[in-house]
Amino acid sequence: MELFADLLLIAIGAALVNNFVLTYFVGLCPFLGVSRRLDTAFGMGCAVTFVISVAALLSWTMTEFVLRPGAPLPNWVWSSLNPAAEAGAVDLSVLSYIVYIFVIASSVQLVEMYVRKFFPPLYKSFGVFLPLITTNCAILFACLEIMKHVVARDWGLAESLTLAIFGGVGFTIAIVLMAGIREELELCEVPESLRGAAITMIVAGILALAFMGFSGIGANVEKLLNP
Amino acid sequence: MTLLVVLLASFTLLLLAVFMSVVLGWANRAFYVEVDPRVQQIDIVLPGANCAGCGYIGCTDYAEAVVHDGASVALCAPGGESCAEAVAEIMGVEVEETWPYRAVVHCGATLPQRLGVNDYRGERTCAAANLVAGYQGCVYGCLGLGDCVEACTFDAMKMIWGLVQIDYEKCTGCGACVETCPRRIISRIPFKAERVLVVSCSNEDFGNDVRKVCKVGCIGCGACAKLSDLFTMDANLPTLDYETDRVEEGDFEKSMEKCPMESLLFVGKPSAEDLAATIDEELPSRVEPKFETTVDKAEWWG
Repeated sequence: MELFADLLLIAIGAALVNNFVLTYFVGLCPFLGVSRRLDTAFGMGCAVTFVISVAALLSWTMTEFVLRPGAPLPNWVWSSLNPAAEAGAVDLSVLSYIVYIFVIASSVQLVEMYVRKFFPPLYKSFGVFLPLITTNCAILFACLEIMKHVVARDWGLAESLTLAIFGGVGFTIAIVLMAGIREELELCEVPESLRGAAITMIVAGILALAFMGFSGIGANVEKLLNP
Repeated sequence: MTLLVVLLASFTLLLLAVFMSVVLGWANRAFYVEVDPRVQQIDIVLPGANCAGCGYIGCTDYAEAVVHDGASVALCAPGGESCAEAVAEIMGVEVEETWPYRAVVHCGATLPQRLGVNDYRGERTCAAANLVAGYQGCVYGCLGLGDCVEACTFDAMKMIWGLVQIDYEKCTGCGACVETCPRRIISRIPFKAERVLVVSCSNEDFGNDVRKVCKVGCIGCGACAKLSDLFTMDANLPTLDYETDRVEEGDFEKSMEKCPMESLLFVGKPSAEDLAATIDEELPSRVEPKFETTVDKAEWWG
């Protein structure tokens, strides 16, 4: 039950309260780039959610067993080579960034091939933005967040995956909202100097302000679950 | 210790790389998509400017449309004829002949021929004048304030006697004027010959009402349609189907003769006879610009 409550809190936190896009301002390039049409935006949200989940799974595994200070694998190798050494001395966390980027890039490649094979129209509408998920900071952000908690030893695989999946869901919510608004904007008479990127930025800012309204929810849900 | 950490780190990355290579290598086989080699060939032949002038998102998209959807091979404007031929060769088809499209005006009334023209003191644009009632009697025809002349980037339009005339030596058929005209009396039609027959009226009212507002407007008598089946009467106006090849054959001489309002006109480049007829006329060698009309768009109020 406690685990469930924790997961619920993490889920709500990732999807709404600390929405990746609208609170942390990560993953802004696809948020602004692919939010022109509703169906493409939804597809992008799904792709990011998928990539973020795969990357979180892989990066949690890497962090837990290889990268964190005192991780079992390198220390086992170290101690078997040098029996006199103290336990848990090897720290490979310097590798974290390069490993995460590597893992993310590979999973994006995988998703790209998969989408190209089974959803050609989606592949076409993504265009250059699908490979750009590689450098989507939302995904690296999720990996780093997971690393922070794994190093502090308070998150297991379940929590990490929850953060990743609901972070992706939060991204999808944000980008779909944005796409809906931008589709309506096509029909509006925007002052000439604000057309294009400017009005998009303004809309994004107002959306971010609106999402500040969720900030009370996290604390209240916590109170409700742990009275 | 340091050396060992370095070794461990390199070993970790190496393992990861091998693992990912295996997974991606497998995926590459499993999710292999066959691409038509002709798409790639056409993609190479196309200019690669991604201008979207053909109506597709980019050159690759157009190449795919040519191969899969049977799009025309001659849509690439920057590539021109040579590009179309190369694409046609890859596709194993002939380049079909495309007709140049040109703008034509469906109004033939100059200012003195229009009736019920009132003194208009508003902004001197068609868009503004079209909003107010009573600018002139005819609510279909040319307003003569030259929005299309402004819109034309090829300097192919000019106002003569309050009626727009198109210079077919300069017109490229871009359609800017078609979009601009608030009364929608300009249209793009295929020029299958140097000179093309045009119904030079847009008034859809009955003959009696047309006579009240215009001296030359089509009264919808239908004489042309009776004499030649090229014309079909629609809303008191004859329409010509330019898509049929028979427009070139020219069995509409009788219709032209019989038209009581002489609303059927040939437009296009001047014929040899026209040039011969005007060759003796003295044309001013130099046209002096008039300050009132050429300094800027603003009307000279004196």
